[in-house]
Amino acid sequence: MKTMRRGGRVLGIESTAHTFSASVVSEKDGVVTNAKDVYTPAEGSGIHPAEAAEHHLAVAVRVVGEALESSDIGDIDAFAYSMGPGLGPCLRVGAVTARTLSLSTGKPLVAVNHAVGHIELGCLLTGADKPLVLLISGGHTMVVAHSDGVWRVLGETLDLTLGQLLDQLGRYVGFASPCGRKIEEAASKSKRYLKLPYTVKGNDVSFSGVLTAAKRLIEGGASFEDVCYSVQETAFAITAEVTERALAFTGSLELLVVGGVAANRRLSQMLDLMAKRHDAAVKVVPLKYSGDCGAQIAWTGLLAFRSGHFLPNVADSVVRQSWRLDTVPTPWRIG
Amino acid sequence: MKLLYRGAEADVYRGHWCGLPAVYKMRKPLRYRLPALDKTIRSQRTAHEAQMIHLSKLAGVSAPHLYYLSPQDALLVMEFIEGKRLKTILLEASLSRGRVQTLGEEFGGSIARLHAAGIMHGDLTTSNAIVNSRGICLLDFGLAVHSAKLEDQAVDLRLIKETLTGAHFTVSKTFMRSLLSGYSSVLGRKRAEAATKKLAEIERRGRYARVE
Repeated sequence: MKTMRRGGRVLGIESTAHTFSASVVSEKDGVVTNAKDVYTPAEGSGIHPAEAAEHHLAVAVRVVGEALESSDIGDIDAFAYSMGPGLGPCLRVGAVTARTLSLSTGKPLVAVNHAVGHIELGCLLTGADKPLVLLISGGHTMVVAHSDGVWRVLGETLDLTLGQLLDQLGRYVGFASPCGRKIEEAASKSKRYLKLPYTVKGNDVSFSGVLTAAKRLIEGGASFEDVCYSVQETAFAITAEVTERALAFTGSLELLVVGGVAANRRLSQMLDLMAKRHDAAVKVVPLKYSGDCGAQIAWTGLLAFRSGHFLPNVADSVVRQSWRLDTVPTPWRIG
Repeated sequence: MKLLYRGAEADVYRGHWCGLPAVYKMRKPLRYRLPALDKTIRSQRTAHEAQMIHLSKLAGVSAPHLYYLSPQDALLVMEFIEGKRLKTILLEASLSRGRVQTLGEEFGGSIARLHAAGIMHGDLTTSNAIVNSRGICLLDFGLAVHSAKLEDQAVDLRLIKETLTGAHFTVSKTFMRSLLSGYSSVLGRKRAEAATKKLAEIERRGRYARVE
């Protein structure tokens, strides 16, 4: 029987997109190590999947070594990897690495959904219990709440994610993604609002109109700072509004914000102001763990393994480029 | 006045208007939005909501009577509707399957009447419908749009489906099936099928949806 020792340890590997990261977590201490190496595309470009996968392959051994640091590999009870959603070539590097570790040690493999990983790590690090979750990153823009065994989607983007909106705007003027920080910096230098389309469809959002209009403004000679400021003000207000809808609808008193875009201070400020109206507490994942990281996979892997979930055969350790979080069972959560 | 409900974009108070029981819907400034952007959105949605309520009633859908409108103050005063929110009813433990079906049929019929008149509600959640002895009354038309697009019709259906699976999972399948049957019997099978087909297409467009 494959079970977890008390105080057991799991090593998790994340490789859905630009980040290759490995982390060791333990039941007792939470995150023990979290090593990473991030692929950077050329200026003005986005992720090239094959190049990113090459990067991941090149750094995999070193990053896993760093994550293991002082732990003996024999002390690891299971190896978790992000099965998806993400870029196929990148995901495969993580899966191969985890398989190798599992086969060479005889310890089980655990498949983790990347998005669920963001949420569960956020809960661990902020102490959130059963929150309403705003998941905002390059891959996701979703409002999520847990019910009947699954993290369920209450609202989401109908086209671009917040991360994509910021990245594509940044790339348009020649930055390499991820561009969130540069956009935030540029936005902080302006106070001039230029009108952009504001699209809320019920609980869902749409950002493609914002992007198109922003690009046109830049073409028309508007200052990049003013455009960044206006894009942030518009897109974040849209996001805050649908989050507020879900907060009012669910009556939740806890809002957890996870994902790479959670690092943006203006967005945090807006969410704080919004949640105050509903007496809800806002818990933002610490900056260090807002982006993709091995810890989100290791911790969720530990939760799953502890509830008896692992892959019975190595042959099951496939990758799934498309894998919605609302189809992932969460046996470690009650209700 | 007593605060009845603090929604996402408005506070709803219970009071009186010329001696009649009334609700005051106030779109208060949202501090997280830029004041200029906020003011425009609030007054636009208020005026728009009044217009859409009026058109919905003409389309034969039950909606509250309007007593007063001030876009400048982002204030609407309207009839107080007795009854329970659909959301509350769907969460009741004692709810029978038959009742879920009747409510679904009725809700679907109301939506169909709106869609037949080219009105997309835009915010079809279970907290925006009140159930009483007269049937189902729809509320919150602030995001409603006039549209002849099949896409918008399907987005409306998608939202209710999202709300059902998100918050009423145990009854969602039964309710949705009855809703679509009620929808189809009012709107006609052909138009209803076109809308549900579009709905499936939108769902496939969803991020990380499995493309079958």
